Amino acid sequence: MLESERVVESAALGGRATGRLTNPYVRDEFGLETMDLNVGPQHPAMHGLLRLIVELDGETIVRCDPVMGYLHRCQEKIAENRMYPAVIPLTDRLDYFANMHMEHGYCLAVEDLMGLEIPPRADAIRVLMCELMRLASHLPSIGFLMLELGAFTPILYAFRERERIQTIFEAVTGARMMFHYIRIGGVKADLPEDIPQKIWDYVESLEANLDRDFVDLIQGNEIFITRTRGVGKVTQEEAVEMGLTGPPLRSTGVDFDVRLDYPYSWYPNVTFDVITDTQGDAEAAYRVRVGEIRQSIRIVKQVLENLPEGAVMGDVPRRIRPAEGEGFGRVESPRGEFAVHVVSDGSDIPYRVHYRDPSFVNMQFLQEIVPGHYLPDVMPIMGIVDPVSGGWDK
Amino acid sequence: MAVTLPQDAVEDRVERYLEGFHSRHGLDEAEVEGNVVRLVIEPHILPAVLTTARESLKIMHLSYITVVDREGSFELTYELLDLRGVSVRVKTTLVGEEPVIDSVTGIYPTANWHEREAYDMFGVAFKGHPDLRRVYMWQDHFDHHPLLKSFEISTKRTFEGLR
Amino acid sequence: MISTLLEYYNQEPFRFLTAFGAILFLTLNLAAILTMSERKVAGYIQGRFGPNRVWPRGLLQPAADVVKLFTKENLSPSGSDLWIFLAAPIAMFIPAATIWLVVPFAPGLVIADLNIAILFFISITSIGALGVIMAGYGSRSNFSLLGALRGAGQLISYEVPLILSLLGIAILTGSLSLVDVVDAQAGGFWNWYIWFQLPMFVAFYVAGIAEVKRIPFDLPEGESEIVGGFMVEYSGMTWALIQASEFALMGLMSAIGATLFFGGWQPPLAFLDLGTFNWIWFGLKTSLLMFTFLWIRWTLPRLRMDQLMDLGWKVLVPLTILWLFVTAGAVLAFPSFFG
Repeated sequence: MLESERVVESAALGGRATGRLTNPYVRDEFGLETMDLNVGPQHPAMHGLLRLIVELDGETIVRCDPVMGYLHRCQEKIAENRMYPAVIPLTDRLDYFANMHMEHGYCLAVEDLMGLEIPPRADAIRVLMCELMRLASHLPSIGFLMLELGAFTPILYAFRERERIQTIFEAVTGARMMFHYIRIGGVKADLPEDIPQKIWDYVESLEANLDRDFVDLIQGNEIFITRTRGVGKVTQEEAVEMGLTGPPLRSTGVDFDVRLDYPYSWYPNVTFDVITDTQGDAEAAYRVRVGEIRQSIRIVKQVLENLPEGAVMGDVPRRIRPAEGEGFGRVESPRGEFAVHVVSDGSDIPYRVHYRDPSFVNMQFLQEIVPGHYLPDVMPIMGIVDPVSGGWDK
Repeated sequence: MAVTLPQDAVEDRVERYLEGFHSRHGLDEAEVEGNVVRLVIEPHILPAVLTTARESLKIMHLSYITVVDREGSFELTYELLDLRGVSVRVKTTLVGEEPVIDSVTGIYPTANWHEREAYDMFGVAFKGHPDLRRVYMWQDHFDHHPLLKSFEISTKRTFEGLR
Repeated sequence: MISTLLEYYNQEPFRFLTAFGAILFLTLNLAAILTMSERKVAGYIQGRFGPNRVWPRGLLQPAADVVKLFTKENLSPSGSDLWIFLAAPIAMFIPAATIWLVVPFAPGLVIADLNIAILFFISITSIGALGVIMAGYGSRSNFSLLGALRGAGQLISYEVPLILSLLGIAILTGSLSLVDVVDAQAGGFWNWYIWFQLPMFVAFYVAGIAEVKRIPFDLPEGESEIVGGFMVEYSGMTWALIQASEFALMGLMSAIGATLFFGGWQPPLAFLDLGTFNWIWFGLKTSLLMFTFLWIRWTLPRLRMDQLMDLGWKVLVPLTILWLFVTAGAVLAFPSFFG
C-alpha cells in the first residue's frame, strides 16, 4: 500500500467531525440513542446546497458535519484551460452575492503577476462598485438571517433595496448579476453620465430607509434578541484560530479588515471606520453588518465626491501573456478575506489558479461551534457566517 | 481572551520575522519583498517553521494552502498573515508521485479544511490530520484527484468512466 | 303549509344535518377565505400585491387553490402507519369545526346553547394536540417526529393559560354559557369584559396564537429547520385539510375571543343594535382579531422551543392566576359593581 494511502486511511478511520463535545454517546443503561438528521441539500432555508448531518440528542446537537460539494463546478480546473481574461466570468460565479469582489481579487492577482499600473479612475470605479456590492450583499444577509428566524418581511425589504442597486449595476455594467466588468488593467467601460448622481441619490435614500425598514424593526425586537443573544458565542482567540475573517471575526472584537491592513486599489484614499463588537455572537454579527452598511455608504459618497478623471483601462497588452511567476491578490469581500493565487508558466493560459474563499473557511466555524446548541440555533449561527454556496463550493 | 495585534512599523516587523526564522531554522531561501517574507524550506521542517511563526512571532492567521502540481513534484505554498500588513509565504516542494507531509492542524486549526481540500484535489496526504476526508468530491467510489495535471478534462468522458 | 313544513324540519335528525352542513360550509369557507386574505395581507405588508391574477383582484384565488389541491396526488411515505397518517388531519379538523356549534352569532342564532359552553370549548380544543402527534408519528420521518414532539409540548403547555384566562369571565358572568357571557356584556362598549380582563385577554390571545401554531409559535412546523415539521409528508387534499383546520381554528380563536372579551354580537353603542343582523358586529370583531393574527405572523420571528415554554409557564400562567385572584377579590369586595 502506498504511504499516502496509509496516511489517509489512518486519518479517516479515527476521524469524525470534531466538535466541542466529545464523541457522540449511547446511553446504554436506558438504551437511548442519538438521532441523525439530514438538514439536507434540498432545504428551503439553507444558504444554498449544504448538507448538514446533525446528530441530535433530543433538541440538543451533539455533532454537526457539513457535507459540501453539491455545487462544485471545478472552477480551478476550468481556469487552467481558459485564457486569463476568460477566467473573469468564472470568478463572477464564485460568490454570486459579491461578484465584484471576486473579479477584483482575480484581477489584482493577475496585475500583480504582470506588474501592471492601474489608472486612478479605474481604481476609484472599482472601489465604488465593490462598496455598492457590499451593500447589495449585507442587506440580503440580514434578510436571510431574519427569514430563517421566521420573519418573512425583512428579506423582501432587503431585496427591494438590492433590486435598486442591481438597476444601478445594470446601467453601469450591462448586467444585473454576472457583471464581467472589472477587467485586467482597469474596468470595461466608464460610468455613464448620469450614474454618479443616481448613485448619490440612492445611497441617500438608503441611509434614510435603513433605520425605518431594518434597524427599528429588528434590533429592538424581543424575539430577535432572545434568539440571537449568546448564540454562537466565540472568543477572539478561537475566532482567529479557526481562521475566521470578515464580520464574524470583527464581531468578536479583532479589527482585521483587509481594506485597511493590506490596502489595495483606491482604499488608501478613503477614510472609514472598522466596525467591531465585543459580544461575539449572532446579535453582534448582525450589528457589525449594519454598521458596515453605513460605512459603505460613507465610502461611496467619498468616492463620488473625489472621482478622478482619466482613462479607465491601463496600458495592457492585447494578448495577456505574463512571464513565469506567481501573482497574489487579496480583497475584503462581504464575507471575509478573499485571496487569489495565480501561477503562470509563460503561456496565455494560467497554470494554476487557487481561490481562498471566505465562505469555505468560515464553515469550519459551523463544525466547531454548533454542537451544544439547540437545533433551531443552527440558523442564527449560519447567520453569523453567512456563507454563499458558490463560495464554499467553488 | 483578547488577541493583540502587532503595533510596530511594517519595515521593522518584516526584518524581525526574517531574523526570527533565520535564527531558528536552516532555510533554503529567505528574502523580503515589500511586505512579504518569502521562505523556501524543506518539507520536514515545515511544522517547526510554522510553530515558530505561531508561538514565537505571534503570526496568528493561516490564509490558505495552495498546491501546484509541477508534474513530478508538488509545490505547497502556505501564506500566513499577521493581520497588520505583513504576510509570510512559506514554500515547500514534495518530490515524486506520493506527496506525504505532516499536517499543521495542531498549529493552525484552520488548516483542517485547507488540507482536506488539498487531499481531495491533489491526493496530498497529511500525516496527523484528525479527519482527512474528501471535501468536494464523492467520498466513496471516486479514486481520482481532479486537479492533477494527469486528470484530463475531456468532453467525451462520461459519468460511467469516473465512478 | 310552509309552517308545517318548517315544523317538520325543525326536529332531529334534520336539525342535526342542517347544523352539520352549516358548520362545514362555514369552516371550510372561512379557511379558504383566510388563505387568500393571508396572502394579500402578507403582500401588502411586504410592499407588494398579493395574488391578483384570479379575477377580480385575486379574490377568487381560494377557488384556484382548491382546484389545484383536489387534483394533486395524496402521497404517503412507505412504511408509514397509514391509518394514523390519514386519520390525523381529521383529528385536527374536528375541534376546529365542532366548537362553532356553541358560538352565538346573533341573538337567538346559536346552534347549541350549551350551559357548559366554555368547558366544551376547552375540552374539544385539547383534541387538536392529539392530531398533531398522530400526524408527526404516523409520517415515519425524523423531521415529522421532531415537529410532533415540539407540537405536543407546545400545545399542551399553552392550554393551561388558555383555560385560566377564561375563569375570570366565568366568575364575572356566573355561568359557563357563551350566550350568558354575551348577554352580560350588553349596553355599550364600556360593559365589555376587555377593560377589566385585559391581562386575561393578553394571555388568551397569546395562548390562542400558540394553539393555532402560528408565528411566533410555529416551531412544530418550523419552516426554517424542519421544513414542514409534522406535516412535511402530507400533500394534496390531506395537506389541505390540515391547513383548513389551522385556519378554521384561527378563526375560531378570534370568534371566541370576540365573544368573551369584546361582547360577541353586542353593538358598541346601544342605538346601533341591528336585531338579528347583529352577526355583522360579530363578524367585524372576529375579522379584526383575525387580521391581528395575520399581522403578527408577517412581522415577528419565531421563538425557540425552550423560550416558548418559558413564556407559557413562567409568564402567562402566573399572570392569569394573579388576575384570577384580583377578579375574585373585586367581585367579593364590590358585588354591586361587578355583579
